[in-house]
Amino acid sequence: MTNLDANLAEVKATLIDVLSLGDAGQRLQADSPLLGSLPELDSMAVVSLIGALEERFGIAIDDDDLSASTFETLGSLAAFVAEKRAG
Amino acid sequence: MTPAGAEVDSEPFFLGSGASQRFCLFHRPAGPCRGAVLYVPPFAEELNRTRRMAALGARRLAAHGYGVLQIDLLGTGDSAGDFADARWDLWKQDLDTGAAWLRARLDTPLTLWGLRLGALLALDHARTTAVPLAPMLLWQPVAAGTTYLTQFLRLRTAHAMLGEDAAAQSGTKALRAALQAGDTLEIAGYDLTPELALAIDALPAPDALVPPVPVHWFEVLGAPGQAPGPAAARVKAAWEGRGTQLHLHTVTGAPFWATTGISTCPALLDATVDAIEERAHVV
Repeated sequence: MTNLDANLAEVKATLIDVLSLGDAGQRLQADSPLLGSLPELDSMAVVSLIGALEERFGIAIDDDDLSASTFETLGSLAAFVAEKRAG
Repeated sequence: MTPAGAEVDSEPFFLGSGASQRFCLFHRPAGPCRGAVLYVPPFAEELNRTRRMAALGARRLAAHGYGVLQIDLLGTGDSAGDFADARWDLWKQDLDTGAAWLRARLDTPLTLWGLRLGALLALDHARTTAVPLAPMLLWQPVAAGTTYLTQFLRLRTAHAMLGEDAAAQSGTKALRAALQAGDTLEIAGYDLTPELALAIDALPAPDALVPPVPVHWFEVLGAPGQAPGPAAARVKAAWEGRGTQLHLHTVTGAPFWATTGISTCPALLDATVDAIEERAHVV
């Protein structure tokens, strides 16, 4: 597993945990759409998700860096987290 | 394994009267008393989401011989006051009140058991309390007061954040500025006063809140084999440099403080009882 794959897997695990997606969440791929497609992902859930990602990875996310496109797919979210982790 | 709740005797009552009236729930120790535990609850919506785990934990500890006091802090639950009346220092006074009540009742060293922001409140309280302490239990402590405040403020900016309209992204910086200017903000139905918000914002990182007793620090991970967040290792190094032990326990389960529905984490209850009875293998 490359670092990027591992990062994607960890972001996916956080998403599944926070949204209580269970087995259905395991089917998510990098190109799976999130915002607008996952009914569980409302604005409040987005806030919980950002907080969980900050705590899991020890990163600080600035509001100015976020937009709807960050949450477009699992891959876009994972790429955003990878960028933050790289500092 | 003692079945949770089966033979635990819980006593609801009010401490104090008028503006200082606090709702309490005391879980009597089953059998000979092995210790006293004061629960320090989390903040706002996390408090609501975690009621079930707090109740399960309290009953579990009571079944193992610990007297557990749950106190609704000023402006929360069934205690006096509105959320806008809540202040960090007044919450610490509530913990003093609860600790004194337990001390009078059980006369045994006190275990502070804090969850999320309650873990930081417990650590802050531990620095000043006059009551003799036993090792502390901290469940999923927040990494820092200031990050936590940002996360809370985001509840109000979430909608704007997801819009493509850049101008609407006033964000949490603008809300912080409003607090600093003295405005009370309504966030997710809670009246957040500048006094409370800025006290949370200014909290020292847990690294600097070195408690006088060893700490059992619990992190919940989504799957076996995941690494815990970086905060615990940093805090452990900082504390151990100053002579306070931090035992890091990781368990697998749902992040029950953050999930949109009510969820529980049975492994955390097991690990907590193991730790307080010092049967656990710690790292």
